Amino acid sequence: MSRRFSTTLEIEAGEICCRKCGHALGPAGAPWKRHAAMTEIPMRGAAGVPYSGGERVVLRRFACPACGALLDSETALPEDPFLDDVLFD
Amino acid sequence: MDPITFSIIRHRLFRIVDEAVITLKHVSGSAITNEGHDLMVSLYRADGSLLMGGVGFLHHLTSAAEACKATIRRFGDDINEGDVFLLNDPYTAALHTSDIYLVAPIHHGGELVAWSACFVHVYDIGATNPGGFCPDAPDIFTEGFSSPGIRLVSGGTVNRDVMDTMLNMVRSPEMVALDMSSMIACNNVARERMLALIEKYGHETVDEACRTLIGQSEELLRERLRELPDGSWQSRQYIDVKGEVFKVALTMTKRDDRLVFDFSGSSPQAPYAINCTRWASLGGLFAPLFPLLCFDITWNEGVVRPIEMIAPEGSIVNCTRPAPVSVATVGAIQSVNNAACAAIGKMLDASEKYASEATAVWHANHFAVFMFGRNQHGGEAIGILTETFAGSGGARNFADGIDVGGEIPNPISRMANVETLETIFPLRYLFRRRMTDSGGPGRYRGGAGMEIGLTPHDAPDGGLHYVVSGKGADFPMSEGLAGGYPGAPNSYIWVKNNEAEPDPRNTDAGFSRSVDDLPGEQERISWGVFPLMGDDVLYVRWNGGGGYGDPLDREPETVLEDCRTGAVSRETAETVYGVVIDESLSSFDPSATAARRKALAAARIPAEAAE
Ligand SMILES: [Zn+2]
Repeated sequence: MSRRFSTTLEIEAGEICCRKCGHALGPAGAPWKRHAAMTEIPMRGAAGVPYSGGERVVLRRFACPACGALLDSETALPEDPFLDDVLFD
Repeated sequence: MDPITFSIIRHRLFRIVDEAVITLKHVSGSAITNEGHDLMVSLYRADGSLLMGGVGFLHHLTSAAEACKATIRRFGDDINEGDVFLLNDPYTAALHTSDIYLVAPIHHGGELVAWSACFVHVYDIGATNPGGFCPDAPDIFTEGFSSPGIRLVSGGTVNRDVMDTMLNMVRSPEMVALDMSSMIACNNVARERMLALIEKYGHETVDEACRTLIGQSEELLRERLRELPDGSWQSRQYIDVKGEVFKVALTMTKRDDRLVFDFSGSSPQAPYAINCTRWASLGGLFAPLFPLLCFDITWNEGVVRPIEMIAPEGSIVNCTRPAPVSVATVGAIQSVNNAACAAIGKMLDASEKYASEATAVWHANHFAVFMFGRNQHGGEAIGILTETFAGSGGARNFADGIDVGGEIPNPISRMANVETLETIFPLRYLFRRRMTDSGGPGRYRGGAGMEIGLTPHDAPDGGLHYVVSGKGADFPMSEGLAGGYPGAPNSYIWVKNNEAEPDPRNTDAGFSRSVDDLPGEQERISWGVFPLMGDDVLYVRWNGGGGYGDPLDREPETVLEDCRTGAVSRETAETVYGVVIDESLSSFDPSATAARRKALAAARIPAEAAE
């Protein structure tokens, strides 16, 4: 039986999976983002003229490596760690 | 107790707060209170614990509880019927010195039975800069009058010596006196209505109802927490001051019926006034918690009990005296509030039952621009641009964020009419409108923010000055949810038209309709005191709300409609939403859109990950 993790992810047979295609992104109970496809784009200009902030600020987009669905995104400076979300058993 | 009586008493407590808020507004004369609703009124138990959290800025509900408790500690048995105490020291309970608490004991039959408390952001507090936000204050000592507790009213009579001493230390004392009067009147009404309630039902019955109400809130929140999955969620907020970056880091952990907010990893306290004290951080995390987790639970002490906060001493979220904190309410407190909103949103999104209550972050870059100077009526005017309260809504899993939709920590926030500001200040609005592409893209789009242009008009001194502070303009802060992009960041621009060459387009800068039409050099600003003289313009754009879900999943028809209403540009429709729309905005191309979306999804997978 699957268990909800978020709008974009679910836990299936002990693995965190993409809800669109079922691709597995590592064991439940552990951070999943390092198993995702991550693209880091400059925040400046990321979505139109008002995205006019600092040059070093990036938008991290974590996508499903199988189907390209966008699973999560976060604002970051390049040296900062991923924001990790974990569901306990 | 009899459930009908309980229910009547519960509703009467709500109405007491409502009526006290109306009184506060009617007596107050400042736009920040009347039109911006930068205020709060709540009721407290005899021991100072929260009984009935009111509306207005929710950051204050728990801080004012601490103000009541600090007053009890200081004055002990010397708290009498008809007294009113003033407290605004951030290291005792307040958020910053400008937000003055007036707390008033309510006695019945000679016994202290409850407290009422309220705050307004007073017209001035005698700090380095008019209006109280002091970007370059080195310490709390330069941030104006500050009291850890003083008796302003004794047995119903104002202590003139105390009042006059305070008024002697502020600019525009007549306006600050009006602020004081409004809060005294507000507390009077709260006391009278509370006593009428006790007269009608008896102290024991009302007291039992209050105890029951608090117990009920605690039980309901614990039950809700047990329904939510156990886990931990992280969020992060950045503050930029003159190129220096500060962080508020949060790991929120939920186990069974407990919720812990751990701010370990946040930056050490800053040399700038963005810091906040421990009580302010606690208020900051409760501001989104009340509406997001307790939307159907009465906001009182019962809600406080299951919550724990870890805020390292000496950090930006628990600074030590005498660190400056005057910008806290648009600085670290807001970052705490935003981080909590983001983490709570992710926790709700992990629950089948509560996912529809989840929200991306709203109007995270709440800012402060305080104008000051001689106005067209010959007086000295000080006041905030209430636009900061207009906000922008975060998107949810079933709907877009509300354009210019306010903010989470103040359910009744709003902005003044253009005419109000033009009446108070020698200024003219060139434009004030919803900002294209400001809402964070997503399957559901974040609500748009706005942009405004201001220029001097009929100013006896040729213009005025303003103080700008907040969290800077480098970072977007209204984080998205479930892949949604954050809302666009703020922008503050000083357009120097006075020094500009005559515009070859032969346009009059005084009637420009956009920042691009202005002839002068543009300087990005976000911190400090600046002049607004002659033909110069202050341009302010504020953030949109965070988006929800994948922008490639947004219905193409909806994106087309966004372009027609100006919420989204045609370029962003194509590059972010993958919807290819013709130049006249009459239709989108379905096959080009499908191809574009496929290409954008593929581009998210770097070659090494695609193997
Ligand atoms: Zn997938």
